[in-house]
This record gives sequence, C-alpha cells and structure tokens, in this order.
Amino acid sequence: MPSSPTRAPLPLELHESLELYLAEHFVLPVLPETAARVVALAQDPASGARDLERVLERDPSLASHVLRIANSAAFAPREPIVSLQQAVSRLGMTTIRDLSLAASLQGRVYRAAGQEELMRTIWAHCAVAAAFARETARRMRRNVEGAFLCGLLHDVGRPVVVQAALEAPGLLQKDANTPILLDAAMDEFHERVGARLVEAWGLAEWTAAVVAHHHAPERAGPYAEEACIARLADLLSHWALTEGSCAEDFPEEDAAVLDLNLYPEDVEALLALRDQALLCAEALR
Amino acid sequence: MIHELVESRFDVLVLGAGPSGHKAAIQAAKVGKRTLIVDREPAAGGECVQRGTIPSKTLRETAAYLMGLRARSEGVLDIAIPPQTKVESLMRRLKAVRTSHGTLLGQQLDRNHVTQWHGRARFLSENIVEVRFPDRSVRRVRADLIVVATGSRPRQPDNVQVDHEHVLDSDSILSMIYLPSSLTILGSGVIACEFASIYAALGVPVKVVDSAPRPLSFLDPELTLRYVQVLEQTGGSYLAGKKLETSRWEGQSVVTRLSDGTELLAEKCLCALGRVANVADLDLAAAGIALTPRGHVPVDENMRTVVPHIYAAGDVVGPPSLAATAVEQGRRAMRHALGLANHAASQHVPVGIYTIPEISTVGLSEEQAIAKHGSALVGRARFDELARAHINGQTHGLLKLIAAPDGRLLGAHVIGEGATELVHVAQMALVGGLSLDAFVDNVFNFPTLAEAYRVAAIDAEAQRAKRAAA
Repeated sequence: MPSSPTRAPLPLELHESLELYLAEHFVLPVLPETAARVVALAQDPASGARDLERVLERDPSLASHVLRIANSAAFAPREPIVSLQQAVSRLGMTTIRDLSLAASLQGRVYRAAGQEELMRTIWAHCAVAAAFARETARRMRRNVEGAFLCGLLHDVGRPVVVQAALEAPGLLQKDANTPILLDAAMDEFHERVGARLVEAWGLAEWTAAVVAHHHAPERAGPYAEEACIARLADLLSHWALTEGSCAEDFPEEDAAVLDLNLYPEDVEALLALRDQALLCAEALR
Repeated sequence: MIHELVESRFDVLVLGAGPSGHKAAIQAAKVGKRTLIVDREPAAGGECVQRGTIPSKTLRETAAYLMGLRARSEGVLDIAIPPQTKVESLMRRLKAVRTSHGTLLGQQLDRNHVTQWHGRARFLSENIVEVRFPDRSVRRVRADLIVVATGSRPRQPDNVQVDHEHVLDSDSILSMIYLPSSLTILGSGVIACEFASIYAALGVPVKVVDSAPRPLSFLDPELTLRYVQVLEQTGGSYLAGKKLETSRWEGQSVVTRLSDGTELLAEKCLCALGRVANVADLDLAAAGIALTPRGHVPVDENMRTVVPHIYAAGDVVGPPSLAATAVEQGRRAMRHALGLANHAASQHVPVGIYTIPEISTVGLSEEQAIAKHGSALVGRARFDELARAHINGQTHGLLKLIAAPDGRLLGAHVIGEGATELVHVAQMALVGGLSLDAFVDNVFNFPTLAEAYRVAAIDAEAQRAKRAAA
C-alpha cells in the first residue's frame, strides 16, 4: 500500500521502541519448509520439474492450494489441471514457485491476532500488485521474469511489522488509536523489514533490493527499474482496490509513471487490466 | 489537467532523436536553422542508447573480454561463467555508459541550440505536426522542413508467442535476470548473430535457426563461414534452411517447431526475425506519404520522400538499420534539404557487426567488383599469419581485400577481433583512391593486426603478377 504523506508519523518514542524490538527481539517468520525448498529448487539450475513435484507431493495442503490457484480463472487452463505434474508442466517452475510462495505466505506471514481484516486487505493489495507488476513489465517490453514475485512481496514487511508491534511488550495500548499507530508503524518500517525477510528466506538479491526501495526506486541501484515497476504496481493496486475509483483518480503524475516514461495511453492500457488483476487476487485468496 | 493547444513555428522539425535524427538536427542548427527535435523518450539517443547498440555492446564487451582472457590464459586461469550468473552483473557499467553517452548527445543538441521536446508526434498535414506530451498537453508545430527518424522496434511474427518471459525480443533479452541454461535464436540477421555469439561466449548453449542457407547472408561467404566456425567452437550451432512453424513456452521449456518436424527445446528463446519501422502513430498518410509493402518510408538516394520537404532516415527507411549508416543518412538528408553538397567520401560507409569476433566491411564485395570491372584482384590475410594474432590468442580472423584489375582498392572485408576498427584503414584508402601498392610499399607497426593489410595486398599483387605473366 502506498504510504500517505498525510498520515501522522509514529511518535518518536514508539518509533525507537519498535525499531529496537525489531532489531533485537523479534524473530522473523520462517518460510514454511516446503516453500523454502520450492524457492531453493527454482534457483538451482540442476533441478528439474520432477524435483519440484516431489517436494510439493510431501505437503498435501500446499499442493492442493497450488492446484486450486492453477485451476482458477486467472490462469485460465484450457482443461482442468488435475495433477501436480500437469501443473508444473503447464505453468512452469517459476510460476509454481510463485504460487507456492503465495500460498505459504498467506498462511504463515499474513496473520495477526485481531487484525484479520487488515491482513486480508494487505494480502489482496499485494496479489493485485503482483498481477499489475507482471503486465507493466510486459507492456514495457522488459523481461517479466520476477516482476510478479516483486509485486507480490513488495509489502511483505507490513504484516510482519504489525505482528512485531502487537507482540512488543507495552508498545501499544490496543485502543482506538491502534489502527492509526499500526498504519504509521507499517509505513515507517515495512520496506526494511520486508527486505530483511526476503534476504532471510534466501530469495534473490534483486528481490530484496526492490522490496527495500519500492517507495524510492532510485535507491535500488542496478534494480531501479524493477523497483519503479513495483512502485507503479503498488499505485495501480491501491487504485484498483479503491471502490468506485475511476481512471481520473489514478495519480498519473507520480514519479514512477514519469520514470518509466509511460504516456497517458500506456497508463490507460494498464488501468484497463483492473478486472484481470482483481481476478488474480481472487485466485490467490 | 490543462489541455493547451499552442502552435509553434520552426524552420526544421526532426522526429526522433536517435543517431539519424540527432545528426540531422545538429546539421540544420549549424547553418542557423531554428530546429526542433521531438522524441518519445526523455533523453536523446533513441533505441541505440536505450535498448539497442549501447546496451548490447556493453554485454558483448564483457563476453569478448572473458573469451579473450580464456584464450590468452591457455588454461592457467579457469574462466568459466557459473550457472545462474546474473546478466546484470555482466553489464554493471551499462548505466554509466548509457548516461554518459545520452548526456553527451543532449549536450551537443543544447550547444547547437536545438529545441528538444519529449513527446509523441503525428502528422496533421504535410507541414503541421501535433505533439502529445506525457502530461497530456498538446502542441502543434509548423515547419518548412521535416525529417522522420523515428527508428524501429522488434517485429513479432504471429507464429512466435513473445511473452517477454520465456520468449524474448532484442529489447527484453537485455533485461533477462539470469543467464539461461539454453537459448534458441530465431533469425540469421545482425541482431540474431550478435546475440548468438555473445551468449555462446558466456557459456550458454545456443542454437540459431533460420531458413537462410548461411547467417548474415549479405556478407562475403568466407566471413560467414568463419563466424559459424567460431560459434561452433564456443558451443553454438547454426541450423540452416529450417522453416519455422511455431515457437512458444510450453510449461517446461520453449518449444520451437520446424517444418521438417524437428522440435527444439530451450529455457529461453530470442525472436530476432527483423524489425518494423516506428510509424504506426505518425499518421504519415496525413502528410501524403504511403509506406512500402514492408512498412518502411520510401525515399530516394538523398533520403527525400515523395513530399519534397519531408525526408526520412535511419531504421524507418529499412535495411541496413545500422547506427553508423543512420548517422550518415541523417547528415545526407539534411545537407540535401538545405542545398548543401554531399561529398563523395560519404559513399564509403563501413558496416560494423558486433559479433564475437567482430565483422566489418567497406566498399564493394568480390561479386560486385567483378560485375563492375569484369574481374577483380582478391588478397587474403589469415590472422594465423600474424604475430599479433598469435600473441592475442585470436587466430581465427581473416581480412580480404578486393581491388580492380589495375590494383585500385575497391573493398575490404574483415572478421576478427578489432575488425570494426581495422576496417577504417581501408575506408581511408578508398576515400583517397589508393591502390594495393600503398599497403605493400608502406611499413606498419609490428606486431599489429593492421599488418593483415600488407599481407593481403601482397597476396593480391602476386595474382596481378601472375595474370601479367600469363
């Protein structure tokens, strides 16, 4: 979710306490074993489709989740996908990695007691951003490899910051002010926490760079363009999930639009993909 | 949003700030013409700087150095590219190279007081062009002289599903994150052959497929034979005479089906089956210009279209679609439009192909020389005859000189490292109207690759002596 300049910052004392807690006490969520193996396999040039199938076979819950997504309208299979072998063969190892990661993240990371609605909102935002990131890269004739994953993970730090803020002893009073403080905490910490998480999970360096800098793509060094695409996907997702929003509501004067050299017709073409992106979020729900 | 319609007046309007447009604009400004250049990208340089020549040559340079280091170290250093190497890590200098070249081009425009607009243009009539800016504002420009230099983009045939993820074009292949485990390349032109040799040099098994009996078929067959030999030595191959049916991602790999039933499987595929002119948004019909059947802007030898005050240059007019040629076309177009003389020297424009090893030619081919002069003298210098080539570990080169029966140089064709630099010696000899004797009678540095000129000239002179004796 894009940070809003109108939001009040976290009071300094709370900021420092949370920063300390995140640095010294909070244990980052571990990627579920199956998802970690899937990620490792996708990055191993020696691995093949059969290796991926074997890993997924050992986790029936994840396997069924992946099959459900593979059969959803977002992936529009020509015929029902009934086996993991068929899913890997039809969608490829990278897509299966992304779907496995999505399924695992939703169950393991996007959880916070009493904040279920907030978690659902953030998850939907990330899923829609993933779809927009992939299509933005494609429209720009850039390699779309990795764009979906960057979109999916760009805000992965947000639920973790919420978990940390709720878990840190004495940090929040859990009153009417809590949602405002959580929003501020997420805005201030989600990029660096997300990047730490992605690094800890063994994902590629460029993914961490995009997650760390999607609000300031120019700081992402050689991955500035990928970070800029994630930033745009962030904006597009926010727009797409805002009920009643129309094309005129999209902030096309944002620096990401200018940096990617998108003309009004390019932006309009991306906005026209709203239903497709929402369908993707529905599939990943 | 403000929708402002303002009409501006310029002497010269150039559409596109790539090599040809940039040159044309500066040429006009230098003689005092009030000049405007419009480009869809914010920085000057066009595809050449942003996606084409500069980025691919940066990657090529890394690949060529690694290959050269491997050859020179003769096993002392283990020069192997690890699997899953990030392509970006091989192009770390790209941003700096691109920025410095783009800045330089922009500064040249500034220095010459060329007005630069960042927008998309379309003709409203033969003198009026509308420019749409990214912020949705619109302006009209009236100009006495217009040059269309909007470049080209990769062609996407219907039977190839370019998804920019598994099946790539020459733009998206440069943003590929990791080196693929295998690569199929569709096409046999300059772009296909350049990328084939780059990726093969980086250790990727490459298969180049095309219906043509040999790659780069416009070149001397002796050069292309050597190109294929080097490609094969680095683990690549050229599949000749193969008609493409389809190519698409099928889950596990990209499957390329050929008409003879062959199926090629690869992790990635590069579609390099030509380029199309960027004219779709220009509405050239409004200016009274119809395109050729291949979608290019038709021009005469002075780059003038059917509309006397509208010229076109660079990729929009079709092959050879090379940056150096585009620059010359832009210059030639503007000089003709302004009534300035075009010198004969500009006839000898070299062709540079950045394969590994490089290929470069200038002047007539053997076939053209025979057609024009009845016969021709041909002199060859194999690089394995040169001390410097042995020192460099790059002995696979060849220089071929073509001369008229009286010994006057007509053309030069080179394959080998440094070919794109070496060819300029021949270019200057052509400009000066020199004969083979000039290479025989003069002393070159030793050891250098330029000695090839002397070796080839002596070879050709021997033929002349034999003919005289016969």
